[in-house]
Amino acid sequence: MSSILAMHVAQPSRRDAYLDWLQMLSGAALVLFMWSHMILVSSVIIGPGAMNAIAGFFERTYMAQIGGPLVFAAFLFHFVLAARKVPFRAEKQGVAWAHAKMMHHRDTWLWIVQVVTAMVILIMGAIHMWVVLTSLPISAEKSAARIQGGWWLLFYLVLLPMVELHVSIGFYRIGVKWGVIKADARSGAKKAENILFGVFMVIGLVTLVRFMFLAI
Amino acid sequence: MARLLKLNVFRYNPQDPKSVPHLQTYVLDETDNMTMFIALNRVREEQDPGLQFDFCCRAGICGSCAMVINGRPSLACHTKTKDLPDEITLLPLPVFKLIGDLSVDTGVWFRAMYDKVESWIHTRKEFDPKALEERMDNAVAEQIYELERCIECGCCVAACGTARLRDDFMGAAALNRVARFVVDPRDTRTDKEYFEIIGNDTGIFGCMGLLACEDVCPKDLPLQNQLGYLRRKMGITALKSLFSRK
Ligand code: HEM
Ligand code: SF4
Ligand code: SF4
Ligand code: FES
Repeated sequence: MSSILAMHVAQPSRRDAYLDWLQMLSGAALVLFMWSHMILVSSVIIGPGAMNAIAGFFERTYMAQIGGPLVFAAFLFHFVLAARKVPFRAEKQGVAWAHAKMMHHRDTWLWIVQVVTAMVILIMGAIHMWVVLTSLPISAEKSAARIQGGWWLLFYLVLLPMVELHVSIGFYRIGVKWGVIKADARSGAKKAENILFGVFMVIGLVTLVRFMFLAI
Repeated sequence: MARLLKLNVFRYNPQDPKSVPHLQTYVLDETDNMTMFIALNRVREEQDPGLQFDFCCRAGICGSCAMVINGRPSLACHTKTKDLPDEITLLPLPVFKLIGDLSVDTGVWFRAMYDKVESWIHTRKEFDPKALEERMDNAVAEQIYELERCIECGCCVAACGTARLRDDFMGAAALNRVARFVVDPRDTRTDKEYFEIIGNDTGIFGCMGLLACEDVCPKDLPLQNQLGYLRRKMGITALKSLFSRK
């Protein structure tokens, strides 16, 4: 009954507030995951033994088998929430693009970058997770074999900057949207955002190079 | 040697069915301390009496001369030509209804917005005309004044990606208005009542934090901090009612 009434007369609702919380929390959780993910994968720089030890730990504790699909679910959940803000109609996309071009404004461009990287991550991230989670356990040798095959190297060279851009911009935007980053701290936060992006790009690239030259 | 400025000005008269939107170019010699306001008035006096644009105070007070100057919504009277390149493109503010050329109707928009946020002090206290005016803490008064300085120019709304994507988004000026009443102790509205006005995607949760509003506001209102404050406050209000009711 109440839903029938609400269809014709808008009722005050807390829906948008909860969805905004969940969007922020799912984004923040994914950022934390991406950082832990980077620690796992980049441990191969120390040696395949280090990476296999960490992967083995996740395997034995069933964190890979259960946590993996959970991360996948969180990823899709975040997409559904954030997609509420994405212009999917060509007309709105045109407006957003024209607006960004008109404004010459960094944060407005960053939002466009966030939306575009999001779409790439949605597709490539899903492929990546599918491939990794359907061929458990994770091991340095398997990963190296994939990357040395060539096509996967190209794949990761695209996915890596997309993720790092999305993560560093997302982290900054959570800060300004929720008022954690105040106006006087904004330029500092931007610098931190750039450093974050740079550091993770370097770690990611070094990791890929290490995989390239890992004896299988 | 004075520069020659090339102004590309948006021309269109929505009242005239034969009018086609286009950019018209005017060339003008720059003078000392020239503002966009002076430049446009000279164009109108010397070259084209039909050019439509608004101004009133020429001192950044009335808010009527806002337009898009080389991509940025700003006040014409506040913008010095010496800070701009030789070629300057002038467009009317988006979002608002176009009256003609550079002139837009911000009044209807702001009026509707004030109705929506109920931009007046809500109180049940009986007014006693004989009593002394109640005192207000100086720090609070200053805080209110800081948010009251909005001149309703509409730059923050025209610069807002969210406002351009959805017509029903309230924009930073409206949210700032609400913040002004939140800090005012005379307004007895509760957080829940404010939540009913702005606690949704047409209000604070629609804001995507692109901060163009903060960066274009010609009066430097603290929009970023107010938006962050309201999002936290309204977010917490929603969580509180999750635990308290029923
Ligand atoms: C590794 C995966 C991902 C991570 C770590 C991540 C992280 C984040 C973070 C931290 C935010 C800021 C949250 C906020 O503003 O409230 C965000 C926003 C956003 N994310 Fe993601 N995200 C990921 C994947 C995706 C995917 C697959 C999509 C697909 C649509 C997506 C779309 C968006 C969009 C559109 C926003 C902006 C929301 C807004 O403007 O309010 N993200 N993301
Ligand atoms: S911060 Fe919010 S209100 Fe300001 S321009 Fe961005 S989306 Fe609009
Ligand atoms: S907040 Fe600033 S930009 Fe927005 S209407 Fe008021 S004075 Fe203009
Ligand atoms: S003419 Fe009044 S603000 Fe510019």
